[in-house]
Amino acid sequence: MGERKVTVAAEVGLHARPAATFVQRAKQAPMDIAVAKAHGGDPVNGKSILAIMGLDVRQGETVVISAEGEGSEEVLDELAEIAGKP
Amino acid sequence: MTTVLAPVEGAAVGLAAVPDPVFSAGMVGPGTAIDPLRGPGKAVAPIAGKIMKLHPHAYVIVGDDGKGVLVHLGIDTVQLKGEGFRLLATEGDRVRAGQAVVAWDPSTVEAGGRSPVCPVVALDALSDAVTGVAQGRVHAGDELFRWE
Repeated sequence: MGERKVTVAAEVGLHARPAATFVQRAKQAPMDIAVAKAHGGDPVNGKSILAIMGLDVRQGETVVISAEGEGSEEVLDELAEIAGKP
Repeated sequence: MTTVLAPVEGAAVGLAAVPDPVFSAGMVGPGTAIDPLRGPGKAVAPIAGKIMKLHPHAYVIVGDDGKGVLVHLGIDTVQLKGEGFRLLATEGDRVRAGQAVVAWDPSTVEAGGRSPVCPVVALDALSDAVTGVAQGRVHAGDELFRWE
């Protein structure tokens, strides 16, 4: 299982445009994508905009994105870049 | 099937008319947008359910079947940091479809140089799951579209 720890830099947190961009990329991946807050809490489906909005990640909070399977490292790199983008 | 109600009075113009590609390209999901009547008004819940997220400028209601509908009051209105919006409900509340959630004035948003247009989006829905989309004049609480 691959993982990336990312601190969300966008002012709006992982909402609105960052959330939509993240989910759009995650949906293209063949494997499951899980997103959780680094300081506890259950992981949610990274392909669901509703789940990501419900996770309510604010600016400065750290999330753990995880995926496994062929190509997952590349997907995780891209998702980490989106989530960490100011 | 979920019937989604118009959260505000105005003209249903479609998501393509929203001046933000996140909405106009359907990145958040299918639905429509309302160009709201200018003047003080109350934005209502588009479906019955729980208020999962409540910001002054946007809210998400999730029905008992897990379907979530996003209402965004104007574009880039997060930048207003709540100014000009008054919450009439609390995050986590259960609301009836048509119950008032936020009081606001689209003309104030417009005077600040932002579009007051309100996207109403079926989150995570496939585009063909949204049917019967209203066009033109709608009152708050009118049927706006159906989510199969």
